[in-house]
Amino acid sequence: MSKLLIDVGSTYFKVCEETNITQHFRDFKKDIYEDLLHKCGDVFSRYKKEDVFICSSANGGLSTLIIGLTNSFSLKFAKNIAFNSGINIIDTILYSKIEESKVPLELIDVVIVVGGIDGISGVFDEKLLTYLQKVQYSNIVYVGTVQDANYLSSHIKSLKVLGNIITGKLHVNELELKEYLTNLYQADIVGKEDIKHLYEFTSNQIYSTPYIVNRSLPLIDANFEVVNPFIVVDIGGATTDIHYSRDLVRDNILSDSEYDRLVFKKLGVYKSKETLVFAAKNNEFVYELLAYLNVTENILEEESEKALRVLMQLSIFLVLYKVSRLNPLYVTLHLELLKSIVLTGGITKVLSYAEVEAIITFFYKKVMNLHSLPTIVLDYDYAIWTLGMKNNEHKEPKCL
Amino acid sequence: MKKVVTGVVGNDIHVVANRLIDISLQARGFEVFNLGVNTSLEEFIDAVVETDADILLISSLNGEAEGWCRDLQFLRSEYDLKDVVFVIGGNLAVGEAKESDIIPKYKSYGFDLVFHQVDLNTGLDVLEKYMSELK
Ligand code: B12
Repeated sequence: MSKLLIDVGSTYFKVCEETNITQHFRDFKKDIYEDLLHKCGDVFSRYKKEDVFICSSANGGLSTLIIGLTNSFSLKFAKNIAFNSGINIIDTILYSKIEESKVPLELIDVVIVVGGIDGISGVFDEKLLTYLQKVQYSNIVYVGTVQDANYLSSHIKSLKVLGNIITGKLHVNELELKEYLTNLYQADIVGKEDIKHLYEFTSNQIYSTPYIVNRSLPLIDANFEVVNPFIVVDIGGATTDIHYSRDLVRDNILSDSEYDRLVFKKLGVYKSKETLVFAAKNNEFVYELLAYLNVTENILEEESEKALRVLMQLSIFLVLYKVSRLNPLYVTLHLELLKSIVLTGGITKVLSYAEVEAIITFFYKKVMNLHSLPTIVLDYDYAIWTLGMKNNEHKEPKCL
Repeated sequence: MKKVVTGVVGNDIHVVANRLIDISLQARGFEVFNLGVNTSLEEFIDAVVETDADILLISSLNGEAEGWCRDLQFLRSEYDLKDVVFVIGGNLAVGEAKESDIIPKYKSYGFDLVFHQVDLNTGLDVLEKYMSELK
């Protein structure tokens, strides 16, 4: 019996049967379960619950506050692990500045506290406890020096203590924290009313979509015309994700994971269209870029098919710009080393190869001053996602 | 065991001395955290904070250290690092330069020991002596 794979996104449902993938625009007046039942009820009726696999990125994800000892190690390592676990919303506090730091107003799903290699003690003190008293959070996890664990456990209720993410050689140890965050994310998905109902369609665990895509990355170069190092750009309705080979970063993070993920919360083409347009208008290249695409600034306010295409082109440009050397505040990728760019997500159903090539050519010429481009691969039929879903079936579901 | 954070500062990729420094310090009984080449000053300071190191030993071979180390005092004051010994060595200027100019300059940036074109073992002997006199 074949499998039925479903991805619930913020804008579309993707449904994959055997080799055929269809996608359906979501009806926001209905809840996810009803909408899915309405659109694919007949498809579900042909499958047993154990042959249905669902992943979702529609729940927005977890919010995280990381409190760490330094920017270059604690905060950088924890942020990296959080992104790789599928978390989108990350705030950080440098411990030496905690007394002057703002307290988040909203409820935080998980606070991560980290600092120091094992063997050193007294990193954290009352300053942390005082600050935490003001923060509303659901979970808190400590992944710093083992010597401070007892002190913190005795003062912080329900503190989860895991292995230090900073090794004795100042390298990153991501396993335990990544597993913890991934499980929290799963628990969150299951807990969300909207998603809970989806278990009427499947008896398998529902995973987060970024987690599924991350699983497929090591298999991509064997399955596509893709050469390492590569990036996968997933432009969605609400966010844009970029998954990249670690060969493209030069930093002091020494990690076992070959691929990292970054999320741009404000660069989606539907739900975060306004912020995308805002970012575009503030970009130094925008007028030249619009002229190159033969359109005027007015297109950004329009609601046409053409306007959507231009927005998608802009989002490709902005994502590359944000990870380039021109924007040192974000992670800087060495795009001159890049061999392949893979585009996936709704964008591949809208833009033609020529349109994608045009925008990437503009980026490489104008921003990078390079005349040769990486090869461009469009994942038209969501094969990356399918690969991740299939790869996932062999894994024992984790207990929550 | 005394802890040392070491590495090569800035855009400097001369790696040979860095390997030797790592080996020599270990042989002298130090615990070494080697950040390698191409390391920013902030990363050095952050590594000292994370490891609670006793010594920061920066090396620079291509002559560009000056530009990278001017912010040392500022970064040092961000954290409470008054007990940490700051050392720099290698080729500390571009082209010909007098030691009598170089040493005071780097001391004014906040380095305790400055070795311009001094052989490694001579420098490390001075460092060990300095450490034992601190006690
Ligand atoms: C090999 C080499 C290279 C190789 C490096 C390969 C690699 N990945 O390591 C390559 C070809 C890439 C290279 C590039 C460049 N290099 Co070069 N390079 C050398 C060379 C020939 C040998 C360096 C070496 O490995 N020596 C062996 C080690 C063991 O010795 P050492 O580095 O001198 O270190 C000793 C001491 O300095 C001391 N020491 C070092 N750190 C510390 C710290 C402390 C605390 C103490 C006590 C002692 C100490 O201990 C070591 C052992 O005694 C030297 C010339 C020379 N003969 O020294 C030039 C030299 C270092 N390079 C130089 C220059 C200018 C460059 C370039 C800028 C050239 C260019 N225009 O592109 C680039 C810079 C690249 C970059 N971004 O850093 C200059 C630096 C001039 C200056 N400071 O005034 C030198 C001195 C050549 C010269 N005479 O002009 N270089």
